[in-house]
Amino acid sequence: MRLTLIAGAAVFACWLPFQLSQGQLGLYDRMGLYTLVAIGLTLLMGFAGQVSLGQGAFFLIGAYTSALLTVGLDPDDRLLDPDAGIDPVLAVVVAPVVTAAIAAVIGVPLLRLRGHYLAFATLAFHLIMSSLLFAQDRFTGGQYGVTVTKPLEVGGRTINGATHAAVAWALVAVALVLSANLVRSRAGRALQTIAVSELAAAGTGIPVATFKLRLFVFAAALAGLAGGLFTFYTQFVGPEDFGIVLSLQFVLMVAVGGLGNVYGAVVGTVAILYLEHEVRELGTRESLLGWDLPAQAPSVLSLGIFGLILIAVMLFFPRGLLPAVVDGARAARRRAPWTK
Amino acid sequence: MTTFLQLIVVGISTGSVFGIVGVALVLVYRTTGIVNFAQGVFAVLGGMFTFELRPHMPLLAAIVLAVLLAAVLGTLAALVAVGFRGRTTHLASLVITVGIALLAEAILLATVGEVPRSYAGVWRHAWDVGGVLIQPQYVLIAGVALAATILLTLFLRGTVVGQALIASADSARAAELVGLNVRAVAVIAFAVAGGLCALGGALLAPTVPVVYNADLALTINGFAAAVFGGLTSIRLALLGGYALGIVEQLVVGYIDPQYNLTIALVVMLVLIGWRSRRELVA
Amino acid sequence: MSALFEIERLVVRYGEAVAVDGISLRVDHGERVALIGPNGAGKTSLLNAGCGVIRPASGRVRVDGDDVTGATPAVLVRRGVTQVPEGRHVFASLPVEANLQVGAYGRFFSLNVISSTLRYVRRRADVRDRLDRVYTLLPKLHELRERPAGRTSGGEQQMVAIGRALMAEPRLLAVDELSLGLAPLVVDQLAEFLVRLNEEEDVAILLVDQNAVLALALCERAYVVETGRVAVEGPSSELRERAELRGAYLGGGP
Repeated sequence: MRLTLIAGAAVFACWLPFQLSQGQLGLYDRMGLYTLVAIGLTLLMGFAGQVSLGQGAFFLIGAYTSALLTVGLDPDDRLLDPDAGIDPVLAVVVAPVVTAAIAAVIGVPLLRLRGHYLAFATLAFHLIMSSLLFAQDRFTGGQYGVTVTKPLEVGGRTINGATHAAVAWALVAVALVLSANLVRSRAGRALQTIAVSELAAAGTGIPVATFKLRLFVFAAALAGLAGGLFTFYTQFVGPEDFGIVLSLQFVLMVAVGGLGNVYGAVVGTVAILYLEHEVRELGTRESLLGWDLPAQAPSVLSLGIFGLILIAVMLFFPRGLLPAVVDGARAARRRAPWTK
Repeated sequence: MTTFLQLIVVGISTGSVFGIVGVALVLVYRTTGIVNFAQGVFAVLGGMFTFELRPHMPLLAAIVLAVLLAAVLGTLAALVAVGFRGRTTHLASLVITVGIALLAEAILLATVGEVPRSYAGVWRHAWDVGGVLIQPQYVLIAGVALAATILLTLFLRGTVVGQALIASADSARAAELVGLNVRAVAVIAFAVAGGLCALGGALLAPTVPVVYNADLALTINGFAAAVFGGLTSIRLALLGGYALGIVEQLVVGYIDPQYNLTIALVVMLVLIGWRSRRELVA
Repeated sequence: MSALFEIERLVVRYGEAVAVDGISLRVDHGERVALIGPNGAGKTSLLNAGCGVIRPASGRVRVDGDDVTGATPAVLVRRGVTQVPEGRHVFASLPVEANLQVGAYGRFFSLNVISSTLRYVRRRADVRDRLDRVYTLLPKLHELRERPAGRTSGGEQQMVAIGRALMAEPRLLAVDELSLGLAPLVVDQLAEFLVRLNEEEDVAILLVDQNAVLALALCERAYVVETGRVAVEGPSSELRERAELRGAYLGGGP
């Protein structure tokens, strides 16, 4: 039954982009890609029980991996040879692999850290990655970013615009199915035990550290895939899209949807991005409620609303906004790392 | 050689503010169990408030008022961050303080804008000590940081309220049982911490202008300093701050200015790893 | 006349698990009452709910007939009910005297810091008198007054915790696991002290302890708690004779 529902929703989600206007498409596309990241993060935070303030780093790594592989790793070649670099499709496939590999390495020490230390460590990871990739450098393009001229093509058909969004949401559907299967599998039940009590899980012989690491890598891979695909929507990657606020936004989306709840992740992401879009639109107006709005109004309003919602959700809906609203959802019983 | 000494001098002054933020983080964490991600915001507010008040009153009065205002805002932050008894965990409080920091940045951006703010310090000219230019402001900050930390320690050990805070830090459970109001303790800790950071920010602004989003770097540096003290020692947090400030200036001076936050992050990670080594070697 | 302290059909839940399943008990003025039973039976949860540390799912807690269900420990302290927690939990970095002082002014410490500090300052003479009284009752504490509480022995820490609770001038002292981790000689001394305290100062005692022999010797009346319910209750002299208890809690033997 559930599979039919997802299939139906997926078909609708993939058909929708072709009905949207150009302006709406960008938002819809980002919703799809960010949802991929949120699905991974909600599983990680819901089952491994930790707060990651740096998931955006994996999105960033994925994007830059696919971009740099596509334009060619040697900065000189990029100017001279239009065929430098590999096929974009391959680059998009490699992106999550590279991201997963990095996650596998740093995850080992990272996942042993306690709550606030992990929060700061993941934050540091994002900021360090940013500074490495945005530093003035011919290889990474520094502050100017990297323009990717080669379009993403599969079987002669260019994937951009509406098709790109459709692909993004198709991947979301796949991720949902994979996650639902994961939760129902033996591994999933082990993860649920870990979520309730790591000590108890270890006591029954479950290799807690290994499972947490696998979740971490899976979440990173999803984010890397989303990032890799992101490159080909605008055919450009640059610092503006990957600030630290991105990582914090993912946490908010997951918090709203309820930790461990993958369907909640979809709802949370869509809701938050839609709200942000509307708020920014509001900010571009000349005046609001009688006050003249300055140039920075869109950022001010979105940052401010973002902060307020984060505070409100943590105070009043620590288990997630969606579970609180949808009564009796299985998700309500999933433990969030910050509830007692 | 003079470059080296010059960098050390600047490092001690920026490091003093890191140390102050670190001390504030330790104070709040020990007494409430909450890591205040918005601690850096108070330092920024110290500079911003002083800037706004300066045209209307002497510098000292402006700074004092700014510190008091920051303390009041600290009490508000405490009430929000502590949340609901039994429902809000320490980790949730951390995330709430992230929200507070974002909200604060938004408000600052809306009211003050993106332009960095500064004002004249007490002295006009730098002292020339053997070729090394020392801004008297640097000495002032370093001295005030040290004095403030000593006063804080005396307050904690010597007064009734201070002892209540230490009691809360030693055993939140027993403190509750003797009737200590958890919210009251948090409010005092946040207020003192906020005022302290505001003082640091107000003294730093003449040499390093404050801008609406400077809080993140300050919080990160402050946290690194606090981790140096294991999140429990006020003295070590201050010391860690000085050390971090110096290391950063050396990197900035000899390698590349754009890496100054990166070096703080790397140092922070190393310190976190060191302090957690018992858990890492599972 | 209503009981000093009364718990009525209390239910305590942790998520899905029920720790206390409808327990009722009472402590009258000047009584010594024991709560015994196996580990995990719900005794500590019951005590914590009674003292305001956790909120019960249902049921009532009354002091002098007044409903204090769900109130914070601060309220209960002001009403004359203080708890000596399991594991002592002294304020380790503070000297013993400071531990006692915090015990006195904790209840003055409310959100309105100014008014509460003023109240404390006005009552300072009273607090000083109380401190002297506690030192008279527990002379060892006077000896140790400058020592950081963390650097005292287990038995001394238990004394500090009791002294701290006494500083709030309680009418009921709830002690959770008096004997845990302490040598028998030390436990006997503490037990003797509690009896004296009860008889001379008219302080009621509610003792929770795994050591049933100790608890029954010390108290006049007892409740036996098993899996969240009261299995048996009555005068200690009677309970001591009960065969089924003998085997389970009193070391067996005919």
